Amino acid sequence: MIQESILIGPQVVLILAIAILVGSLLPGFERKVQARIQQRIGPPILTPGFWTLFKFAYKKKMHPNSPMPSLYVSLLPISISLLLTILLFSSPPFIRLFPAQGVVQHTQTAFSATAWFTVLGWSSVVAVVGLLKVEELLYVLIGSLSQSVLSVGMPIPDLARGAKVLGFRREYMEQHSAVRAFKMIGIGSFPIYITLIVPFALAKSVFVEDLIRTQNPGWMASGTFGLSLATLPRSPNILTFPGAIASIAYFVGFMILLNEKPFNILKAKMDVIEGPLLEYGSVYRTFVYMLREAAMFVLASVFVTFFVGIPLDPFQPLLLAIHLLLIFVFIAFEAVMAAFSPILTFRQIYPISFTFSAIAAFALLLAAVM
Amino acid sequence: MVEEAKVVEKEVPIGIFHPALIEPWRIRFFVSDEVVKDCEITLNPAHRGLERIMEGKPYEKAAVMTEKICGICSSSHLWNSTKMVEMGLKIHVPDRAQYIRTIVQEIQRTTSHLIFLGHALEIVGHETFAMRAFLIREMFMDLLYYISGNRVQPSAQILGGVRPRCDIPPSLGRVILETVDRGEDAYTKFVERLLADPLVMSRVTGVGILDYNTAMRLHTVGPTARASGVKFDWRKDPVQNPAYQAFDFNVVVLDWCDTKARVATRALEVFEQFKILRQAVKNMPDGPVIDRSWKMGRMDFTDSYFEAPRGELYHSTSLDDFGRIRHYKIRTPSLTNNASMEEACIGDHLTDAVLTIASCDPCLSCTNRFTVVDLGRDKTRVMTGVEIIGKYGRRRRR
Amino acid sequence: MSLKATSRKNAVHVMLAYTGGCNGCEIEVVNAVYSPRYDLEQYRVLLTWNPREADVLLVTGTVNRLTLEPLKKIYEAIPEPKAVVAVGACAIMGGVFATMGGELGPSEEAMAPLEKHLPVAAKVPGCAPRPEDIIVTAVKALPLLMGAP
Repeated sequence: MIQESILIGPQVVLILAIAILVGSLLPGFERKVQARIQQRIGPPILTPGFWTLFKFAYKKKMHPNSPMPSLYVSLLPISISLLLTILLFSSPPFIRLFPAQGVVQHTQTAFSATAWFTVLGWSSVVAVVGLLKVEELLYVLIGSLSQSVLSVGMPIPDLARGAKVLGFRREYMEQHSAVRAFKMIGIGSFPIYITLIVPFALAKSVFVEDLIRTQNPGWMASGTFGLSLATLPRSPNILTFPGAIASIAYFVGFMILLNEKPFNILKAKMDVIEGPLLEYGSVYRTFVYMLREAAMFVLASVFVTFFVGIPLDPFQPLLLAIHLLLIFVFIAFEAVMAAFSPILTFRQIYPISFTFSAIAAFALLLAAVM
Repeated sequence: MVEEAKVVEKEVPIGIFHPALIEPWRIRFFVSDEVVKDCEITLNPAHRGLERIMEGKPYEKAAVMTEKICGICSSSHLWNSTKMVEMGLKIHVPDRAQYIRTIVQEIQRTTSHLIFLGHALEIVGHETFAMRAFLIREMFMDLLYYISGNRVQPSAQILGGVRPRCDIPPSLGRVILETVDRGEDAYTKFVERLLADPLVMSRVTGVGILDYNTAMRLHTVGPTARASGVKFDWRKDPVQNPAYQAFDFNVVVLDWCDTKARVATRALEVFEQFKILRQAVKNMPDGPVIDRSWKMGRMDFTDSYFEAPRGELYHSTSLDDFGRIRHYKIRTPSLTNNASMEEACIGDHLTDAVLTIASCDPCLSCTNRFTVVDLGRDKTRVMTGVEIIGKYGRRRRR
Repeated sequence: MSLKATSRKNAVHVMLAYTGGCNGCEIEVVNAVYSPRYDLEQYRVLLTWNPREADVLLVTGTVNRLTLEPLKKIYEAIPEPKAVVAVGACAIMGGVFATMGGELGPSEEAMAPLEKHLPVAAKVPGCAPRPEDIIVTAVKALPLLMGAP
């Protein structure tokens, strides 16, 4: 235990570095896949995710049009930190740092001596789901605080005599987008939350550690560094019947949470242009890109950890390589689905979300009785 | 003007710089929980004062300006304008020139419908289909380039015929036929794929309803009206458009009245244009392409109607003894089409309303704009679309 | 080459502001970006519709009276360093609206040329300019425009 806890710090730093670096390749990869589907060449892989971060960072700092600018700009780093915390909760430092009594067996860890942290719910389904919910709520806040020049602020004399219906409240398109975000929280988040419970139902525990143990006992038993094939998962959840169904629902829930086509109504380019994120420029625009990259990476990594049983372990090169490869495969699926769908309105999102929530609930039922 | 009581919660304005509209116009939506209850479109930012600077110019100079009214349907404006003066001064146009004019016009109509499909699909959000439409369109832009030397404003029609450079020798005729064949193949696959896609069709079906009576009351024209059951196409009129009587083609009329009908009408019209192109190239008569034996002089008031890609196009003018323009009046189809969309988008979600307004294929650069300056009270006032139709719209002969 | 210069050369965001004209130049710019044939993204130029995200403002159309003020607001909203490119004959000198008026002079509604109102760094001539010209501007001029310290 002592020798492992010295490595926790470097492990955390390595994981965050991998998340940010590999995450910066994901938008370019996604764009390249979509471009090849559209029969064109597309941008180089480093351009949309990696070089844009630096380019925007070197721009002159600007002040956003907002009633509370400091709150508005601070919400982005908060959002990114939340996502990266979710990543840490589902990865080795937190799993190994606080193991279940150090003994490999199915056991209830809520009241063990070293388990003061378990009351806080770290490294469990409670933490992951809770933090995701807070992250969703932040979009509503960001949207209500943005007042760009592109909607009401446009200096055009359309409130002239003889115009229709004067005197109503004029709303910025970002504020309208915040209302849409609120609806998406209510309706669109069910698929992913129900799906996230399914692997824990299969493992009969709320802790991520038990989740990985049931899928991949080889990794739990191995040391910190390793390159053996015994660390590969023996019974990944995705190969079980409820796990497979839940994976499909997770994929749809992932698209909804990421606000990616077909569920990007709150960022629909064609009526609210960019939605809540309109007023971010220069350095804050770097954070906008990092937020999207973090969301893509973290949600894909959580999928690989929970459903395939391979944690993001930077000290085990074989597992790390497979984990990153699976993340790219997951993002490739997302790019293909986004390339072939239009923007859907709430008329279509409600039934689709309902259907996939039902599928996820069915998978949960099956997992509970198995 | 909607009579029934409506509960409006807030106003969401979009414009003037916006990716869905592209051109500078301003739309104020009055919504209540995502559903549009009313809408106001103001078109005036795009006013360029074209008719004013045409006054007093010799007709040939003004003809150049008519083409620069629009970049997508430029050949319609130019043909309508030359047709008007040819009718007024009784100028003879050789048959070969009429065929070449038709070919250039129909190729441009194809590019116009394809850009409409590309833009409408971009607004629906389906980038892949939009890119496919743009790719097919490139084949036809190349044809315009070969025939006339410019992709965007071909300038083929002049008084008495076409420019001699725009003559179509048999080799170019073969190229046109090959391109039409290839284009039709690719386009058929594209349209079949589009009309079979469940997500896109669920977006456009049942939204933006413009029924027959509203369409007639608001003087909707062109494919927008034909999608609501109005059977009218100026190309079939023998007095105004004698050039088209030599060709055998159908007029596509649908009666579903929603956005899907407006998209499908234009999508299906492209096949009719391919028919016309094939007939025109195969049956082209020999002879000169221009007849310069006319004299410019006094012309009494003449008007001319044409079927532009967006509908009924009207030009009228009169010339003085030296052939100079007294006053030029242009009335484009998008004027009434935009106003009809103000009524058609009521009752839909905001995203669908933006799609409805784009589905009438608005071309602001063509449309006349009115900003009434009330000098007595020193204020500017904008006229809504319905007011403009009430004052300036022209009753269609049925 | 420094990180700043490399990153500016490798990712350029352009925004299109169409101030009212005949739509021809505007369609050609959109063609250059959205058509798989002339795909501009492969040259590291990405299209955006948000001035806060843009580096370069492409202006087409005769700058009309009512679009002048909004255009200036959009220009101010772009963070430094920025550049303006005037695309098409109308933005450069007013096109036919400035020259064909005869004794009536240029049209009173068209406030072109753009140089009078905004600092123009590059001009793409043509009526309408071909997509190839727009691509040449993007590849050669845009990275130079972004070479500010």
